[in-house]
Amino acid sequence: MADDASSSSGCAGNLIDNSINQDELIMKQQREIEKEISETIPLVGELEALSSLEKEYNEDPVYLLKVKDLSSKYKYIRRTRPDGNCFFRAFSYAYLEHLLTDKSEFDKFYEIAKNSKEILVALGFSQFTVEDFYETFMEVVQRVGEQAGGSPDSLESVRAELHDKFNKQGYSDYIVVYLRLVTSGQLQTENDFYQNFIEGPRTVTEFCRQEVEPMYKESDHIHIIALSNALNVGVRVKYMDRGEGSQVSKVIAHDFPEGSKPLVHLLYRPGHYDILYA
Amino acid sequence: MAEISEKYNTKCPGVKRLMREAMELAEATEEYCARPLEDNLFEWHFTVQGPKGTDFEGGIYHGRILLPKEYPMHPPHIILLTPNGRFEVNKKICLSISGHHPETWQPSWSIRTALLALIAFMPTPAEGTIGSLDYSPAERKILAKKSVTWACPQCGEISALLSSTAAKPITEEEKSVLNQIAFKAEEEQTAKPPEEPVVEPEPQVLESSEPTNSFLDQLTEILVALLVGAIGIFIYRRWNAHYPASETEL
Repeated sequence: MADDASSSSGCAGNLIDNSINQDELIMKQQREIEKEISETIPLVGELEALSSLEKEYNEDPVYLLKVKDLSSKYKYIRRTRPDGNCFFRAFSYAYLEHLLTDKSEFDKFYEIAKNSKEILVALGFSQFTVEDFYETFMEVVQRVGEQAGGSPDSLESVRAELHDKFNKQGYSDYIVVYLRLVTSGQLQTENDFYQNFIEGPRTVTEFCRQEVEPMYKESDHIHIIALSNALNVGVRVKYMDRGEGSQVSKVIAHDFPEGSKPLVHLLYRPGHYDILYA
Repeated sequence: MAEISEKYNTKCPGVKRLMREAMELAEATEEYCARPLEDNLFEWHFTVQGPKGTDFEGGIYHGRILLPKEYPMHPPHIILLTPNGRFEVNKKICLSISGHHPETWQPSWSIRTALLALIAFMPTPAEGTIGSLDYSPAERKILAKKSVTWACPQCGEISALLSSTAAKPITEEEKSVLNQIAFKAEEEQTAKPPEEPVVEPEPQVLESSEPTNSFLDQLTEILVALLVGAIGIFIYRRWNAHYPASETEL
């Protein structure tokens, strides 16, 4: 009996091992691709005219129609590195940039941001590691606050500073980590509600540990819903994919949370988010 | 600590984080202790107490923690130095999440998380994972006894490194994390490929020239044999053509 049990568990162990080896091979290849991307694409790029999108789709009539539709509402695009963190990076960059010109929104956000750490610690996250990310995040937020609503000249220099910080891996990734934690905190606090969005047998906590908290994990609707609710920030996402039907020439928009006034505008193309500017 | 802050750029998040962790772990506990080397914040030495109620009970195990420059975005590596019968010594092992989600290290975890996970993982079956050893309980118990007198060239007698103070209790969050973490050695393939092409071309040339040589040899042998045969047949025919008459004459 005992022998039977151990040999069958041994088999199960081997199966798991094989799948891990497969996973490892895939991950190794993925890491090589990631390395190449990180060497060629900045974390957050410069402002570009929306027409730069047309060049990408020169021979693609469906997408060209969509770019045309997009250009009726937006003039510029700012690209982000496709490293799985793009939603968080694009969102935080665009929102902080907006806050520079909106002092009352900044004051509202500052209160929410200041209290966010306590929520995470109360949920059981380790105090000193959360504090580490929180401090870097707040350092950048405070720099924005000092200049918010200032003269165009002072805004120009703080914009350059922001751009510089978002392209420094240390700062940039720390901001992403903190927003991932805030997102996870929101999902776990409103556990009952978000459970409905999760496919399969995973609990909200498991989902957070596997899909939200680790770096480089791509964001889905559920991440955007949670973060926009946690920070009470309106986000409009324009979805540009190969959608068919009567809407074929239109780029569909979604606002998060529903009915909110969007302050951040993002362009979604399958697997990736960039920032849009009117 | 003062020396470290002079030497490193404290604006760099990894450095700031590690200095914070060094402070957090400054006091040794009963279960574990860890501190950075005096001259390198990115390499630590640690000591852990073998988990009670297991083959490792009473054992004290010492090792190194190597922190990647991207820490805490990427996980630390652990190298055990004290023979223990569960992990190979002097081999880099890393954390992964057991099951189907390997390498989901989270930046909000810390060196403490890694050490707690290591202690929790020691009694789990080795199951042939790379870097794992499957010693018998008796062998592990002997190693546990021996480990007490083991000394690290840099840190000295390891039994003197732990204290009698209990560590901070494990939180619910940590408990759920610890159950998921597994350890195994890195795939060595990553290190090998660059070496192979350098070493291999020579034997390859030798091997590839040898078969062609022997093939040529064989071919000439066959040709020579055919030629000899043909000449033989030719002479035999000539001989036949000349001598039947003389035979009949005789």
